[in-house]
Amino acid sequence: MKDYQLAWRNLWRNRRRTLITAASVFFAVFFALVMRSFQLGTYEKMYRDVIESYTGYLQLQHTDYIDESSLDNGFIIDPELISMIEGDPNVTAVIPKLESFALAAAGSRTQGVMVIGMDPENEMKGLNIINRLVRYRLTPEAVEALKAESLPDRTGKLLDVFVNESFTDEASLISILGIGRPDTSDVLPLFRKHAAFKNGYLTSADSGYAVIGNGLSEYLHAGVGDTIVLMGQGYHGATAAGLYIIKGIVLMPQPEIDNRFVYLTLDDARYLYAAPGMATSAIISVRDTKEGDINMTRNRLGQITGDGLAIRTWKEMNALLLNQMEADNKSGAIMIGILYLVIAFGVFGTVLMMMAERRREFGMLVSIGMQKGKLAKVISMEMFLVGFLGVAAGVAGSLPIVFLGYARPLRFTGEMAKMYEDYGFDPVMPMLLPDTYYLWQVVIVLLILLIAITFSVRKIFKMNVINAVRA
Amino acid sequence: MITSIAWKNVWRNRTRSLTVIAAVTVGVFAGVFAMAAINSSIVQRIDAAVNEELSHIQINHKEFRSSSDLKNVIPEPERVISVLQNIPEVTHIAERIIVRGIASTSAGSTGVEVTGINVEGEEEMFTLKTRLIPGTGSYFGSETRLNSAFIGEKLAKELYIIRYILTEESLGTLKESGVPSSVVEKLKPLEDQRFTTEKKLTEALAGLLSAREAKEYGMMIREAAWSYREGSRIILTFLDADDNQTGAAFRICGIFRTNNDLFEAMSVFVPENELRRLTGLGEGEYHRIIARLADNDLTDRVTPEVKEALPGLEVMHWKEIQTDLAMIADYMNQIYGIFMALILAALAFGIVNTMLMSVLERTRELGMLSAIGMNRRRVFTMIMLESIFLSVVGGFAGMLVSGVVIAITGHTGINLVKYSEGMEAFGYSAHLYPTIGADFFIMLTVLIVITGILSAVYPARKALQLNPVEALRGE
Amino acid sequence: MQAAVFMIVSIPSGAQQLTATEIIRKADEKFNGELSGYSVMSMTIIRPTWERTVEFKSWSLEDDYALTLITAPAREKGQTFLKRGNEMWSWNPAISRLIKLPPSMMSQGWMGSDYTNDDILRESSVVNDYTHSVEGEEEIDGRLCHEIKLLAKDDADVLWGHQVWWVDKKEFIVLKAELYDEDGYLVRTERGTGLKTMDGRFIPSVIELVPAEEEGHKTILKIMEVKFNIELEESFFSQQNMKTIR
Repeated sequence: MKDYQLAWRNLWRNRRRTLITAASVFFAVFFALVMRSFQLGTYEKMYRDVIESYTGYLQLQHTDYIDESSLDNGFIIDPELISMIEGDPNVTAVIPKLESFALAAAGSRTQGVMVIGMDPENEMKGLNIINRLVRYRLTPEAVEALKAESLPDRTGKLLDVFVNESFTDEASLISILGIGRPDTSDVLPLFRKHAAFKNGYLTSADSGYAVIGNGLSEYLHAGVGDTIVLMGQGYHGATAAGLYIIKGIVLMPQPEIDNRFVYLTLDDARYLYAAPGMATSAIISVRDTKEGDINMTRNRLGQITGDGLAIRTWKEMNALLLNQMEADNKSGAIMIGILYLVIAFGVFGTVLMMMAERRREFGMLVSIGMQKGKLAKVISMEMFLVGFLGVAAGVAGSLPIVFLGYARPLRFTGEMAKMYEDYGFDPVMPMLLPDTYYLWQVVIVLLILLIAITFSVRKIFKMNVINAVRA
Repeated sequence: MITSIAWKNVWRNRTRSLTVIAAVTVGVFAGVFAMAAINSSIVQRIDAAVNEELSHIQINHKEFRSSSDLKNVIPEPERVISVLQNIPEVTHIAERIIVRGIASTSAGSTGVEVTGINVEGEEEMFTLKTRLIPGTGSYFGSETRLNSAFIGEKLAKELYIIRYILTEESLGTLKESGVPSSVVEKLKPLEDQRFTTEKKLTEALAGLLSAREAKEYGMMIREAAWSYREGSRIILTFLDADDNQTGAAFRICGIFRTNNDLFEAMSVFVPENELRRLTGLGEGEYHRIIARLADNDLTDRVTPEVKEALPGLEVMHWKEIQTDLAMIADYMNQIYGIFMALILAALAFGIVNTMLMSVLERTRELGMLSAIGMNRRRVFTMIMLESIFLSVVGGFAGMLVSGVVIAITGHTGINLVKYSEGMEAFGYSAHLYPTIGADFFIMLTVLIVITGILSAVYPARKALQLNPVEALRGE
Repeated sequence: MQAAVFMIVSIPSGAQQLTATEIIRKADEKFNGELSGYSVMSMTIIRPTWERTVEFKSWSLEDDYALTLITAPAREKGQTFLKRGNEMWSWNPAISRLIKLPPSMMSQGWMGSDYTNDDILRESSVVNDYTHSVEGEEEIDGRLCHEIKLLAKDDADVLWGHQVWWVDKKEFIVLKAELYDEDGYLVRTERGTGLKTMDGRFIPSVIELVPAEEEGHKTILKIMEVKFNIELEESFFSQQNMKTIR
């Protein structure tokens, strides 16, 4: 009989033992995968949210812009170049923008702001700032009116906490005001009736209009229909000054952006800053956002942009964020390492016990003539087979949880959700779909098993046959 | 009787017992240490922010934060003080003047927030002075005729007050601290050349040193070249009470370094009476009153009390001012909770398996015991007791190990300086000093030991199901 | 010893021996006193990759009041700036707004030039805020100058550590000035050239500002027309006038 056949038979001779051993491997793999998926999912989401809402994955810039992001490092953007870039297989849109500093004034209040000029039709292909339009606002009047209606208790209480807050969509209303799923169909219409916010957005044909951040609007005490002044320094030192009527208010992630956000059409911005035909950067939207794809796209595009211009990746543009990501990742790795420590002991313990239990059996086999080497081989095979069984089960078991976590991530409500949103994060705890990290966890668990096997083999060789038989 | 049998059983099979004990020890260590590391990092950040930057409770005029107008002083500050004094948890109170302005040197100017403090009055409270970089001054201590200002390192760098010069002396220091002479020789052409920014120095180094040398010694060279002219002059400009532009020259009396870049770049501290004189504010007019409490955790309870007592003013909890800090603290707790849950589950399963195996291994022995008359309940109790012993021993061992490790690393610190740039930009120290509250420590250990015990239930029940006759016959 | 003898011998006949401070005072009065009145100027801003010229008319009274009207280029035309003491106001017809410029607006150079808020609004006195010493003589553009070192006093609120001025011996015109920071590094050089007689006074008609640490940066001020001691009342320098002046 071949060795592996023997091994296989051994396994099924004592089913209970086999299952227990396989179970320990199964749990190890299962927990490792769930935890890692969870960690990676959270980081991914956090950073992607920031990247997608602001810098995008790739940008076309003047070569000096990355070191000094001033208007004077802008460039003339050539429509031909844009079409060439759009021709790349991975590129979905090119959005030129002109961005610079200005002082915004309304009444007697002034605030330093970042003015971003983009063509709205174009912008909607990539950034979708329109999604951030304020749709609901809990003004004191709205809160009073809502309270007069019948609302679930929790929501009623939270109304007081969040008075004067603005919301961009129903999802955030639901999560922040703790509206349970059964209540949504009754409660949401009430909000639509009392708390809806009149808002507008820029169109490409507009001139003299601006869309501003919610925080800025509150600071300047200027709302839709009011006029703001923008002043500053334009290209090559020209004076920049203009009047703009507020057409819409958006709620941007991160207060630092929200308090300083002014969005004009590209033409208006060019006129304001005396920079005809220019852009400070062009966001390049891509379809495949994996690292490899981005780098390849960058290399391809680098060929066609020529001198004086450069294609920058989100990593180059967000050095600080990257640093933080790495630190987070490392701390996550430490946590997983600790988990593995615990898991390893579980596996060792089980294997050890198994060996102890079968001492008599081994002793018998050796005393009737089986070579220790052959015994070791068979046992090792047994353990590998069990290992694979456990791994397969672990992977299979984790998949439903991972997919569930991906499709319906854990959501927060109330204050917690609001804090997340304030900070620019979606209030969820998501999971990452199977990826190379799956392979890694499996490998590590198998390594643990290998160590356990090595130990066992050593034990076999050191075994004192006579004592073993008498066990 | 059962107890002593159980105890002897434990030590009879040393390998098995040790494995289970080890598993529990590792579990406790893992949970406690991870918690300590994460906890300390956040606690450090919060403490630093609260004590040095914010204080626990801030009281302003309702409009002050949104308009920073000089005229928005606190009405009836004496009443605020007396309210605060009546709260026993409040340990320190301070009143401040705050003005937005520009700081300039010949290198340029930048926007800052100038805070006028009562230097003697805040002697105990102003812990920011402990962040003074040695050699940059004596914090309002010296006797210059000119007004003094205490500023942050980031601001000093921006205005070229801090610059990088490789003097002969600093080159010598480099040699002494272990930089090879060959490398120091290469730096000779840069001697006494002034670099106004770190970047310019780094560029110059890149031209003279190899990539490897630059990476390895770059930081040390930068530190050695870091220099500062004591008593440098800085001009502060702001609008006075009549909306006229005014200002004066100040001498830097110290530079502080925190882990918060933004705070360092924006904050300038000057003596209160100087600022009052320049701005023309009246006696007893203040923009902000801050209160320090005996403990960070008291803030949740005390803030509402103060809010109620002072309805016309803006009373802010530090969590409301730095919401991101508060969020991170809570977020971390959540992550940790889930992590702990996973660890406990992994631990539980590991123990279940091991104990199960152990039970199966002892079928003959257990069968024997049943055969000679030990009733089921006793068998069950025996196995449970064994588990309890193992878990408790493991628990104590775990507490011991983690206690020692935390004590050591809490002292020497874990060095994450490689990621310091990202961490410090967000206000975190790159040196971790794991700490953990005593109550947490105990709670975790208890939790883990309980897990160990509960995990033994299933195997113990399995033991009961063994048929003594079959068991005796061997497997 | 020899130098001292040389200096005594070369004192201009009829003039007493002047102290460094008196020289500076005369130079300061000449410069500031002369530019009271009305002037038409052009300012050219030179950078490595571009160049821009702004033209303006300016009215001033002593050192405290000034009204400036931008006349070119077309985009900037019509803007006015009013200085009263250390307040600066700006009127921009494009937005029909009168704005008081906060200090933050002024931290970049005026109209993109190398002139800073400090240069325009700050009221430091070269006479009172510095101690002066004669360092020697030197010829600049063929004219003999006193070389004077101005060391900033401890409690003065000036940005500079010290300055070196080359003051023409005959006319007390500052032909060259070097401005140093507290570390002793040169930050800016100023040159007065194009000496000619305008409205009866002998003045430099071209003033150049060259920042030391930036390659290829320069600001050149040219005086095209000047009238001294014209009739001007303080009431001329009003917000109303800002909007109507031509």
